[in-house]
Amino acid sequence: MQPDSAILLAVLAIPFIGAALAPLVHRVLGERTAYYAATIAALCSGLLISQYGRWGTVTVEWIPALDVSLVLYLDGLAFLIGLLASGIGVLVFIYSGGYMHGEPGQAKYYTTLLVFMGSMLGVALVVDLLSLFVFWELTSVASFLLIGHYQRADRSLYAARKAMFITVTGGLFMLIGFLLLGHVSSFVLDGTTFTLIGTEQSLIGIPGQVTHAEAIRHALIEKGLFVPAIGLIAIGAATKSAQIPFHIWLPDAMEAPTPVSAFLHSATMVKAGVYLIGRFRPLFVPEHVFAAEVWTWLFVGLGLATMTIAAMLAVSATDIKELLAYSTASHLGLIVAGFGFAETVGAETGAFHILNHAAFKATLFLVAGIIAHEAGTRSIDALGGLRHDMPIVAAITAVASLSMAGIPPFNGFYSKELLFDAAWETAHHFGGLAWLLPVVAVFGSIFTFLYSIRFLWLFFGDRPTELGEIHRPPVAMLLPAGVLAIVVLVLSLGAAPIAHDFVNPIVKSSLIAPAEGYHFSAHLPHSLKPPVLMSVVTIVGGIATYPFYDRLHHGIRRLRSVALLAPNQYYDRAITGIAHVSDVVPRYVQTDLMRTYAAVVMSAVSAFALGGYLLGGTGTDLTEAVTGVNLALPITIILAVAVIGALAVDRAPSHIVGVLTLSILGFTVAVFYVLASAPDLALTQLVIETLVLVLFLLVLDRLPAFYGELRRRRAVLDGVIAAAVGLTVTITVLVTTAADPSDGIAHYFVEKAPVPTEHGTLITDAGGGNNIVNVILVDFRALDTMGEISVVAMAALAILTLIGMRNRGERA
Amino acid sequence: MTEVVLAIVLGALYALGTFLVLRRDVVRVVWGVTIISQATNVYLVTMGGIHGSIPIVSHGGGGHHAVTDPLVQALVLTAIVIGFGTTALALVLTYRLYQEHGTLDLQELATTEDSQ
Repeated sequence: MQPDSAILLAVLAIPFIGAALAPLVHRVLGERTAYYAATIAALCSGLLISQYGRWGTVTVEWIPALDVSLVLYLDGLAFLIGLLASGIGVLVFIYSGGYMHGEPGQAKYYTTLLVFMGSMLGVALVVDLLSLFVFWELTSVASFLLIGHYQRADRSLYAARKAMFITVTGGLFMLIGFLLLGHVSSFVLDGTTFTLIGTEQSLIGIPGQVTHAEAIRHALIEKGLFVPAIGLIAIGAATKSAQIPFHIWLPDAMEAPTPVSAFLHSATMVKAGVYLIGRFRPLFVPEHVFAAEVWTWLFVGLGLATMTIAAMLAVSATDIKELLAYSTASHLGLIVAGFGFAETVGAETGAFHILNHAAFKATLFLVAGIIAHEAGTRSIDALGGLRHDMPIVAAITAVASLSMAGIPPFNGFYSKELLFDAAWETAHHFGGLAWLLPVVAVFGSIFTFLYSIRFLWLFFGDRPTELGEIHRPPVAMLLPAGVLAIVVLVLSLGAAPIAHDFVNPIVKSSLIAPAEGYHFSAHLPHSLKPPVLMSVVTIVGGIATYPFYDRLHHGIRRLRSVALLAPNQYYDRAITGIAHVSDVVPRYVQTDLMRTYAAVVMSAVSAFALGGYLLGGTGTDLTEAVTGVNLALPITIILAVAVIGALAVDRAPSHIVGVLTLSILGFTVAVFYVLASAPDLALTQLVIETLVLVLFLLVLDRLPAFYGELRRRRAVLDGVIAAAVGLTVTITVLVTTAADPSDGIAHYFVEKAPVPTEHGTLITDAGGGNNIVNVILVDFRALDTMGEISVVAMAALAILTLIGMRNRGERA
Repeated sequence: MTEVVLAIVLGALYALGTFLVLRRDVVRVVWGVTIISQATNVYLVTMGGIHGSIPIVSHGGGGHHAVTDPLVQALVLTAIVIGFGTTALALVLTYRLYQEHGTLDLQELATTEDSQ
């Protein structure tokens, strides 16, 4: 059954409409705008849920003439991401109602969050790659605004710029990857397409019906674009999903208000990268292989490295939000690695962990927000024994962090088990160095265990004496966290049926063609298979290492302080370098000298024109041109006088001489018009030239005589530029006059301007005058003439103002 | 038929105008712009052909094959007038510039701006 196009479009449109109205609503409702936004999010998720199971494509014609249409595609994966964006959106908006109490800039905050939610829904639902790119970058822009919410704080400005710079740059790489795919598609399909999936003419095709994936892969390999395409898309995904070494923006992004961190920087926006990988997986990973070319090693390597290093960084964190940020990067690494594995179990890992991670990590962020809000500090060392003050929060945290640690029977265990399974199977198949994969996976998971327990320990142990009074959190903040904890519990206890019914279509979205009768299932293990042993090693290793947590913490911190190992150093140095370039360049480009600008513009125009002739040819034989001198002697003489006049202007020793010689040029041009059969021009030129002469003399009377002697070196350089311009003009005149176009337009005016013979004196269809130039000016092109008069009027007004201002003593 | 003489003359006028635009003296820059706009007008007229007869025809038209292009002339007529407007404005700006800064040297103006 196809999804309802009106409903899907509404899901996309409602958040944006809601965002547009948010500032108005804020005027009326004030801080209760949170509940208005929550209602919108609830509406979106309700509409989305109503379409559950109606997988398929909706094509909305946008500009039919250009064959541009908006292609929406709903399947398990799209539904999951859409549900996370709108469903967690509801909880985050409610939570914001408590958290943002008394904070500045709330209208902006809710507007941006709603725009973000709409963009995220767009990323999930749109499969046209160019539209996807637009929504993708919109989420980056929204994230920028939200991280920089506290506009006066330098740290949040730094963080906002960093996040924007890294994710938007990555998005541009991704766009190039998309363009490569579109280019290659034209060799396989009828014409270029940017639709990824869901239509006859799409890159992947319609799952179960049409498959183009293999043909596209072959075309990519043939054109040598296979590795670049995957690499470029991977950069986009890695920057967005904070993979190493692009993870550095995520911890800084914690400057944002905590609901934003919970929503954008753990549950949804950072999931866009892994979503993209899952979405593209059917295109690049063929069925029944153990490793897809490039794909597997790239993403498994990236994912496992991020998972392990970010988990170690989380152990070294001193701030609870920093810990959660690194942990988020680590879990995103797990998902990336999962999608990287070519076996079916890889797709299962990625799909299931997106769901599990969103549930437990959003919970923990909301808890972190509650702790910061009520205890007034986010420092791990300063916190402890919070269970006495916040027993309910302690229970919520226990559920979520045990799930994060991957302890059975919590849901985090299931997806981690799937990762172990995938790593083990791949290692088993390839042998040799591939055995590193399960080892690294277990090693990273031990650190995950460690920091999860450390976070939980905030609620146990001794309460530091310096910790002040802690208030009970408001219901608006407690409720969303509680709801999410219940979601985690439901996912944990109902893992088997949920996997069977809900996760199954999500997994299938990332498979090109699932085997006959394939159905995803998850259950607690009942025999000691390798993955189970790996989990046992993880947990036992974690418990054994936990007493040495502090030593590990300090050890990793020391490692982090080595400059060479810190990506932040490279980032900061690059930014300083770029800023330095920005300082230097204007010194040469923006010299405040008219001369520089004129020289650059004129030489550039000449270079382009001459270059164009050189490359494209002139279409005429210019050597032939030189033979045909056909100008009457009087015109030649007059023109010679004009050039002499202009030369005299250039060499004029004083202003007065220059103006007079300029007049020689002007009046000879008038004579030229007479000889060139243009009497109207000659008349106008004579009048105007006289006026200009008078004007110049009037102004010169008030100006100093002359200064600025010519320097030889400068004169030579200017002479070269001037000669180049002159040469360009000469050649263009030769080229254009050599052509002989039909005089279509002129012909029309000559026919229509005079009174036709058959009309006598009454005319409606003709200009009705003998002087064709005049008829054109006042009749055929009268609007142009009016524009001309307006220009003169404006110039007159400007002149009056300029002189008047001076007389009133104002300084311009 | 190529207009060799006009091509050379126009090239020379443009070159002389450009040279003036690159000078330090604002008045000279204005002259340069004036020369270039004069040359442009001549250029346009040349494009329309200069060998025909005057585009004034008697009642009922006729003989129109011989006339020069009237449309180009109409455009240039407009251009001449607008050129006057811009020259006048440029001159007044020059005058005001001198009043405000006491100099017409663009080099000097740029350096004093930097030092501010």
